[in-house]
Amino acid sequence: MAKTILIVDDSESIREVVSFTLENEGYNVLIAVDGKDALKFLDGKEIDLIITDLHMPEMDGIELIREVRNMPFYQRIPILFLTTESQASRKMEAKEAGATGWIIKPFVPAKLIGALNKVIR
Amino acid sequence: MDNFKQKFIEEAADLIEGLEKALLLLEQNSEDAGLIQQVFRVMHTLKGNSSMFGFELIDRYTHNLETVYDLIRNKKLKLSRDVLDVTFASVDHLKQLLDESNYSDPDFITLHNSLIARVSKIINAETVVETVEKSANQDIIPDLAKEEFTYYIRFEPINEIFKNGTNPLYLIDEIHTLGKALVFAHLNRIPMLIELDPLKCYTYWEIILVTSADVATLNDVFIFVEGESKIEIQRVSEEDILTDDFFTSELTRIAKIHKDIGIAATMKVAEAAKKRFLQSKAATIKKEKVGLKDASISSIRVSSEKLDSLMNLVSELVTTQARLSLFAEHNNTPELISISENVQKLSRQLRDTAFSIVLIPIEHMLTRFQRLVRDLSNDLKKDVVFITEGADTELDKTIIESLSDPLMHIIRNSLDHGIEDTHLRLQKGKPKQGKITLKAFYSGANVHIQISDDGAGIDPDQIREKAISKGIIPPDKKLSNKEILDLVFLPGFSTAKKVTDVSGRGVGMDVVKRKIADIRGEVEIESEYGVGTTIIIKLPLTLSIIDGLLVKVDETHYVLPLSAVDKIYAVEREQLYDKFNNVLVLEGKQVSFFNIRKEFELSDSPLPVEQVIVVNFEENRVGLVVDSVVGEYQAVLKPLGKHYKKQEMISGATILGDGSIALVLDTNKIIKLFSRIEDYTMNVNSGNK
Repeated sequence: MAKTILIVDDSESIREVVSFTLENEGYNVLIAVDGKDALKFLDGKEIDLIITDLHMPEMDGIELIREVRNMPFYQRIPILFLTTESQASRKMEAKEAGATGWIIKPFVPAKLIGALNKVIR
Repeated sequence: MDNFKQKFIEEAADLIEGLEKALLLLEQNSEDAGLIQQVFRVMHTLKGNSSMFGFELIDRYTHNLETVYDLIRNKKLKLSRDVLDVTFASVDHLKQLLDESNYSDPDFITLHNSLIARVSKIINAETVVETVEKSANQDIIPDLAKEEFTYYIRFEPINEIFKNGTNPLYLIDEIHTLGKALVFAHLNRIPMLIELDPLKCYTYWEIILVTSADVATLNDVFIFVEGESKIEIQRVSEEDILTDDFFTSELTRIAKIHKDIGIAATMKVAEAAKKRFLQSKAATIKKEKVGLKDASISSIRVSSEKLDSLMNLVSELVTTQARLSLFAEHNNTPELISISENVQKLSRQLRDTAFSIVLIPIEHMLTRFQRLVRDLSNDLKKDVVFITEGADTELDKTIIESLSDPLMHIIRNSLDHGIEDTHLRLQKGKPKQGKITLKAFYSGANVHIQISDDGAGIDPDQIREKAISKGIIPPDKKLSNKEILDLVFLPGFSTAKKVTDVSGRGVGMDVVKRKIADIRGEVEIESEYGVGTTIIIKLPLTLSIIDGLLVKVDETHYVLPLSAVDKIYAVEREQLYDKFNNVLVLEGKQVSFFNIRKEFELSDSPLPVEQVIVVNFEENRVGLVVDSVVGEYQAVLKPLGKHYKKQEMISGATILGDGSIALVLDTNKIIKLFSRIEDYTMNVNSGNK
């Protein structure tokens, strides 16, 4: 069965590029515009991976990661966050919050899939 | 990507508009942290996204502005009039930057550069510009034209690794994609069950990897777990030393004894391997100089009679050993039992060695066929792939030699007459590439070799007409499809419409049949018109000893070839008798079964629980019901004698340790036979077409 990936990003263009790439790879894609929006999907639905931006208006990525790690059902779900090269400190913060890994913007599809392959199969 | 670009422009325009609004508010209240955060976020998003859609200018421009607002956000810089002015100017400029047609305007570029300079000045006043660091580029090792190196990788995840949703196995998988890897998973840190926390990772890995990738690429694999898990990557050798048997076996040995290998030991072994390699190289050179004298010792010719008598003696030994085991068991003398076990082990080894002397895998002749298919498909301008399965199936060397020509002929036939032209295949809705499969496998005391193609198949009507015209059969003779197909094996029968230099050489299938009959084999043909043809060659295994499963039905012992046995289940009798259809559900899968008692017309078993032995039959799993399973048994196959030649179910008999006789069942044949009977009564799917 196809794996389901939840994308959380307030930027529509990023959401589109990511979901386009992932759907091309045969994944099911769920879309949320920010952390708060993402929570509505996390109601016991089978989700295999979360990809989240860090900077978002309503509940940012780090808060979302903390929140997810506190949900028994999603405790061990892989979470990747989108970040830019210059945000090294945020990277550590997200990692400490429980993120599995990251994808550095800008990215090409191959890079995105490369990061994905490290955390799901 | 252009679609996305348009989307980005729309979105960026919205963002910039929001930015403008926020700035206007910020002008009224320059201390509002929420507004500052919002401005920062817009810059950040613009920066992150613009580079993805090819707007490098925006990327670079917003990078500096982002830094400015990051400083303000962290109270390292004051939001001055000047900063606000530049930001307002930037808002207008960013709008222009979204229109790429501006980029060719020199005035625009001048403005761009001056604005960048203004922003940089603000940052420089306070702090040094953060340079975008391109990671991992510093310690790159120059790419030496795809040379392969051997690395030692040690990966010790922290116990808590699962907590972050990481599955370390995926990283091992990723290593595998980089090259050839020898992976040692160390389980020695797994505590006793009572102390084990299933949410923790206790395993760690040592990997020997041969790859052309550099250290940076290897480090990249572990990038997500870098800081927390222990990762050690070192180059062990400048070449591929995994091909060195000494190196791999030595490492495996160390891993077995000491668990942990370690880089030091790996280096040492690599060093030793290298030395050995050099020595052996020197030795071969020496040997070459010494010449023929050495070479003659590495292999000797032995007359087959000597081998036959060796084989006979081994068979006798195995039978005698079975008697010894039984005797030891009855006597219950510990010493005797241990001696008997030793004899059993030795005779098994002796048996295997004796047989391996005369057996070679069919792989040896397959390359010849690969080549044939390649060359012929080129000549015929057909796209054909040749797939082999069971290349490790072993056969007597003499059988293989006599088999080569007939197989060659069959494959030629498939290529020439079977597989259609590419455009015809496409017309028929078949894949462009034709496929010829050679599959070899053991079946009971036989080896089967199947050559199938997905070509045109044989038209039975055409064969029939031809046979009539050649006077082989009378025009009014009624024949089943199978009987018609069998006509191709008759002498003087050739269906080729035109004689090509590939297969129409006057050598027909009759010659194939005769040659295979010479080595006591059989040929069968199955074909579906339009779908493909399969030719099945059944060859006797020269093996006169098989590993078997000794079972009991009623008062008789039977031996089933162990190679065919998949699993054994104990099943209550209610499930086996008086059923409408002979189907059992085992582990969630339906398995059709045959009750040997019923098939052999014996009375029903009085036992409350019987054993269902699931065997592999063609593609399916079929159950055979017996009373009880005695155990594994090395059976020395003895022929049944000519009176029983006609029956197919029993491939031979064997003498048990107590002197009684067990019959060796050919599982494939009995299932075929049983299901043929069933075919008329109820519609059991048997796979026997």
